[in-house]
Amino acid sequence: MSRSVSRRTFLIGAGSVLALAGCGSSDDKASSGGGKVELVYRLWDEQQEVGYKAVFAEFTKQNPDITVRMEVLPWDQYWTKLTTELASGKAPDVFWLTVDYFPDFASKGVLAPLDDLISKAGLKLDSYHPNVVQSYKFEDKQLGMPKDMGIVGLLYNKDLVTKAGVTMPAELTWAPDGSGSFLEVARKLTVGSKQWGFCSWNHSQTQWLNWIASNGGHAMDKPYGAFDFASQKSVEALQFARDLVFKWKVSPDGTRTNPPTGQATEMFYRGEVAMFPANNALLPFALPEVKFPIGVAAMPAGPAGRTVVINGLSEAMFAKTKHPDEAGKLVAFLGSEKAQRLMGDAGYIIPALNNAGAGYKAFWKQKGIDVQPFLDSAAGSTVNLPIAEGWTAKSPEINKTVNDLYLDKVGVPDIATAMDKIGNDK
Amino acid sequence: MLRRAPRRTHRIGRGRQTAVAYALLAPSLVGVLGFLLAPVAIVLVLSLFDWKLLSTPEFVGLANYQKLFTDSDVWHSLLVTVYYVVICVPGTTILSLLLALLVDRKLRGMKYFRALLVIPWMATPVALGLVWSWIFDPGRGALNQFLGVFGIDGPAWLSSPVLAMPSVAAVHIWQFAGYNMLFFLAGLQNIPRSLREASSLDGASPVAHFFTITLPLLRPTMLFVLITNVIGSFQAFDTIFVMTEGGPGDSTEVATYLIYDEAFRKFDFGYASTISVLLFAVVLIATISQFVYFERRTTYEVSG
Repeated sequence: MSRSVSRRTFLIGAGSVLALAGCGSSDDKASSGGGKVELVYRLWDEQQEVGYKAVFAEFTKQNPDITVRMEVLPWDQYWTKLTTELASGKAPDVFWLTVDYFPDFASKGVLAPLDDLISKAGLKLDSYHPNVVQSYKFEDKQLGMPKDMGIVGLLYNKDLVTKAGVTMPAELTWAPDGSGSFLEVARKLTVGSKQWGFCSWNHSQTQWLNWIASNGGHAMDKPYGAFDFASQKSVEALQFARDLVFKWKVSPDGTRTNPPTGQATEMFYRGEVAMFPANNALLPFALPEVKFPIGVAAMPAGPAGRTVVINGLSEAMFAKTKHPDEAGKLVAFLGSEKAQRLMGDAGYIIPALNNAGAGYKAFWKQKGIDVQPFLDSAAGSTVNLPIAEGWTAKSPEINKTVNDLYLDKVGVPDIATAMDKIGNDK
Repeated sequence: MLRRAPRRTHRIGRGRQTAVAYALLAPSLVGVLGFLLAPVAIVLVLSLFDWKLLSTPEFVGLANYQKLFTDSDVWHSLLVTVYYVVICVPGTTILSLLLALLVDRKLRGMKYFRALLVIPWMATPVALGLVWSWIFDPGRGALNQFLGVFGIDGPAWLSSPVLAMPSVAAVHIWQFAGYNMLFFLAGLQNIPRSLREASSLDGASPVAHFFTITLPLLRPTMLFVLITNVIGSFQAFDTIFVMTEGGPGDSTEVATYLIYDEAFRKFDFGYASTISVLLFAVVLIATISQFVYFERRTTYEVSG
């Protein structure tokens, strides 16, 4: 038995190595045909893949000698494959990048600096959301073209809200002591042990990082700086995330929601959770899953006002691409107003380009969803995800530690100290 | 003279046979060397390096091993692995033995029934894992729907830290019981029927017959099944990967999953190799001790 198992496992491994090799060489083959160049573009979102078809059709219209082939990979495989390819020197020409992975890639020199091509194309970095621009800056070089802003807002189940006779206040507020309109609404929307007003779960981007920021705390003092989860403001915010579950009882607990097996998002889809914070990029995925109308509100404002996490993606270019000129043209085009509006107007993303969100709003209005709170939040006070060296390894460790926050066993200050220890290691 | 001649031809024939044997072995020998022994050697070397995939490998001596001994995640994962092995090995062995006893009779259609039991082992583990995740789904899964018929409110099998491990282990047992049954079946059919007749003439009950005659004679089979099962359970990865990703928390984070996590999520290939070496050592010790234990007690032949 063991032999067959290991052989099978092994074959999977060998298969993926072959697949990697095959993939890396594919772009060489495609390029050598009479001045025509095929670029490989890698992404993980099969919804946006549809949108990009229109974008690349327009690009090829403007650049008849360049075509773009898309490769869509599931999230987990995306990073494994991309990292191994970058290490082996054969990677896609242009690919998506998150703030999480940026620092580790940037410091290894696998990303091409974009400043020259940006200025040559007549684009200006200050016309994009400053948080997104800053996220992809490394040692004064711009290594990622701002693509979109993933902004956190509060999705809610309109049916449950109507049934409870609640009117959503224009602005929700929270405070560590449990005062404010947010908790009040969450309590009204909680029914027995089958329906929860809110879902407080372990998701840094849409959950606890927002509580910390709107309580006036900081996950870290500056990009590439020191983590400070153990400061008073942060601990208060983390305690609030726990209190929502165990003290105020308006949210399911970690046994149901903790990643990787938890089903927080599915609980919202199923109508078991009334209010659910989400990145706006979830909308195209959520809409086909739900049987109720979705409402959008801004995240609750805390003692320090409303500050929400922004998770803008970027388009990155492989430093060793065989076609730097063509890939550069593509990156510049993706940053252009034309491309950003094509994606925004089709409802996929809020463009990182300032004041390009009107089409996005119009698209979702047709679907019966008013996304203005997302746009307002993006225009208001925003905070980046942590930007730190070694973050790809540290982030999953920290997230694992935070699972305890939603289980009510380990004390919150101890959890915060453990998070700092991981974050500030080395 | 007369005696020598045949001996010589015998020797030549044997040399030729050896050459043919090696020639025939060559393809799989290449496989064993290139895909089994070479990777083992590479892992041993890598465990002495700090290599984050994108960075240049840097020789650090035994630093990874030092980290290993103070890393609570590693020891926790070993405990989790042992827990998994402790459920899976007896579970698979007992179930497969029972199945073998059940199908060890000549009935019409029995061979189809035997084949049916082996199918789970033939299926792709990832596909199995997916199907079982659906079955275990707390909301709409088949298992809880079934329990609901009896008015039982089924738990969240895979997201409960207490139930997740028994649940994934149950899938392992189900997956391999039929396959191991084949070995017990072969073992059972090697036991002469005369022994059964003799024991029943002496008035032994079927239960007594099983424990005093069948089971001791199955020892060589038992040794094989136990050893391959222990190794297989220590190396289990695919169904756990698909069903729980080591969660909830770290309750199903077996050593192989931790290795995967270090290598392909955190891209720390050096440290991942170090944990692999540790797991290798543990499996080796477990296997050798089983051999030693059984060597003293195994009866290979009926006349022995």
